[in-house]
Amino acid sequence: MLYVVLFFTFFSLFLYVLLGGADFGAGIVELFSSPENRKLNRETIYKVMGPIWEANHIWLIILIVILWIAFPMYFNIIITYLHIPITLILLGITMRGVAFIFRHYDAVVDESQIWYNRMFRISSLITPVFLGMSFGALVSGRIIVSPGPQHGFAEIFMLPWLNIFTLLTGFFYAALCAFLAATLLIGETEGEARKIYSRKSAIATIVLVILGGLVLLYGFLTDMAFVKDFVENPFSVAAILLSAVLLIPLWRAIRKERRVLARILAGSQILLVIFAAVNTHFPSLIISAEGDVNMLQGIAPEASINILGITLIVGGAIILPGLFHLMKSFNMIKFSIKEESKN
Amino acid sequence: MENIDYARLQMAFTLGFHIIFACIGMVMPFFMIVSHYKWLKTRKPVHLQLTKAWQKGVAIFFVTGAVSGTALSFELGLLWPEFMKHAGPVIGMPFSLEGAAFFVEAIALGFYLYGWNKLPEKFHWFTGVIIGISGVLSGILVVSANAWMNAPSGFDVVNGEFTNIDPVAAFFNAAWFTQALHMTLAAFVATGFAVAGIHAFQIRRNKKPELHKEAFRISIFFGAVAAILQPLSGDLSAKDVAERQPVKLAAMEAHYETEKGAPLYIGGIVDEEEKSVSHKIEIPGALSFLAFGDFDAEVKGLNAFPEDELPPVSIVHYAFQTMVGIGTLLMLSGILFLISLKKKSWRDDRWFWWLFAILSPLGFLALEAGWTVTEVGRQPWIIYEVMRTSEAVTPMPGLQYSFYLYVLVYLSLAITVTWLMKRQIKVLNNSIG
Repeated sequence: MLYVVLFFTFFSLFLYVLLGGADFGAGIVELFSSPENRKLNRETIYKVMGPIWEANHIWLIILIVILWIAFPMYFNIIITYLHIPITLILLGITMRGVAFIFRHYDAVVDESQIWYNRMFRISSLITPVFLGMSFGALVSGRIIVSPGPQHGFAEIFMLPWLNIFTLLTGFFYAALCAFLAATLLIGETEGEARKIYSRKSAIATIVLVILGGLVLLYGFLTDMAFVKDFVENPFSVAAILLSAVLLIPLWRAIRKERRVLARILAGSQILLVIFAAVNTHFPSLIISAEGDVNMLQGIAPEASINILGITLIVGGAIILPGLFHLMKSFNMIKFSIKEESKN
Repeated sequence: MENIDYARLQMAFTLGFHIIFACIGMVMPFFMIVSHYKWLKTRKPVHLQLTKAWQKGVAIFFVTGAVSGTALSFELGLLWPEFMKHAGPVIGMPFSLEGAAFFVEAIALGFYLYGWNKLPEKFHWFTGVIIGISGVLSGILVVSANAWMNAPSGFDVVNGEFTNIDPVAAFFNAAWFTQALHMTLAAFVATGFAVAGIHAFQIRRNKKPELHKEAFRISIFFGAVAAILQPLSGDLSAKDVAERQPVKLAAMEAHYETEKGAPLYIGGIVDEEEKSVSHKIEIPGALSFLAFGDFDAEVKGLNAFPEDELPPVSIVHYAFQTMVGIGTLLMLSGILFLISLKKKSWRDDRWFWWLFAILSPLGFLALEAGWTVTEVGRQPWIIYEVMRTSEAVTPMPGLQYSFYLYVLVYLSLAITVTWLMKRQIKVLNNSIG
């Protein structure tokens, strides 16, 4: 059952990065658009994301619930030492969620829309940056798991997540979100809008590659254990390289308007990036100042893991087909014949 | 104030808000699907208009409920990491099931909101039913996790570690049924009366009376039936608390002395220093009867417990009085409504609509008071007689800043949502048809 739980842990992480990421990215793309394109973006994302918008973010809740049931010691470290960025993430999620619903459900359309839009766009950028910073903090070897009286507030609660490495990972994740969103939205638009999203996607890809390189370079130069191990791990390096190589067929697919293939390729790239990161140090996904913290130590007793595994299997059997049907009904997933005949 | 006080205040504040949003999000879908059903049956435009208006309410409250709930699931860990470390594996089951129910709700909501004219009519309506059912299920599951804090079961404590964990036994703890029943009914009472009151006010102002009367009928019906059932569930809860948490019962009633044939206090001012209650009305033997079904039964007083295990008595007592007082008032008003089904002439009178407009916020006040009784009444324990709240709090200092931040965010959220609702009603009243 532990394997089932582990599978769902990474499955939820993957889907949250993919779907939640595309969702954040849509806001980032809107933030960096000219005023006239913003309106177009707003309407497109409402059409595309609206129906599954809420479901995208529940993956985060699933992930959290799994962590605190099955890996309580891990959860305890994350939640205690990343208190501040997590609070900011929550603030971002709250702001973004309500802004999205306000701007589409307010009965009166007036100047207040300006505020909703502003709130939506800014929190769309801030939230993934803090998420990325938190991910970075977990592997950067600065979290002090058993602080003593000699450690100050900043050392325990600030510096682990607020440094150049985590900032780079934060922006890397935000760029990843923008890349996902732009790539997804290209498939939903025609004519002029298509060109806009293609350009956005290209910019996001370049930024992403540069930031990814910087993360690795900085980590390597500062002797970061995670990055060193990453570079020396042939599977991780191969995964990242493959992910980069896939950009070529992705761009071909986009040019040829093959939406399904483009989405599968973009999704695979994310999967590869996550695999590369997780594979390097699994099962020690937290690297603290005192050394590796093994995920499989201090896990919940078998009874809890078993019940959780069963819940996840049953829940998954109900939810996943429902979600799939929802996405299909509203054209998130396309298998249309029309598309085949285009090519 | 110390760090722990801010942690408790923040928890109380965010939970207090989440409960309101979550209850409305849980109950309103039922109003919406009844109205939707009437539209499918009668094809009267007023029903369609009402369904669509309520649907916007459902969407807004679902999202505010969902984001405040997401925040809470993190806050449990952010503020009480020691609690979560031990409790997570034990009470994870209701939470993971709740996650599943919530997911189903979100999917159904996606179908419902975007399904007009796209999905087959009956299937579309049915997705609304699923929103309602999965919402209530989520509520029950979360309350079951809270009930475990009052009636911990499904584990043993050996040298400070939780062992022999049985998640199923923890899930079906002694308090889950009475608490879940009481809370579900409370959600229907509070939302039913709140929504009905808003529409009653509109009828009173003579704006679109046909539409608002329909809205009033649907919402008050749910509220009235739940309000009439609630005392029965309250009785079950009282007997349960008397047996499991005698100190909480003593605090609810502000009884300091252990006595047989204990009287029931109505009202009263608590003096925690002097350990006495003045200005109360006493009903002889009634507390013994309510708690144990026997006029002569012995009820333990607060003095029978160690000083450092007593909850803040006056808060619990006043909150309990508020809850019971409002509950009684709403039950009587519910009966009044049912009589008005026969005596139709009452509805032509202004007082009828005034009454329900004034009652509008009271259900939520009672609901908050009820949660105050449950949560403050359990202090100083976070897990009753197992872990103290002070042992569970985070080592992270400076929690006052996070408290201020949350107050700011939630207050602005509440103000904005209220303002949005006002705009919705205004637009609805000015619309044609």
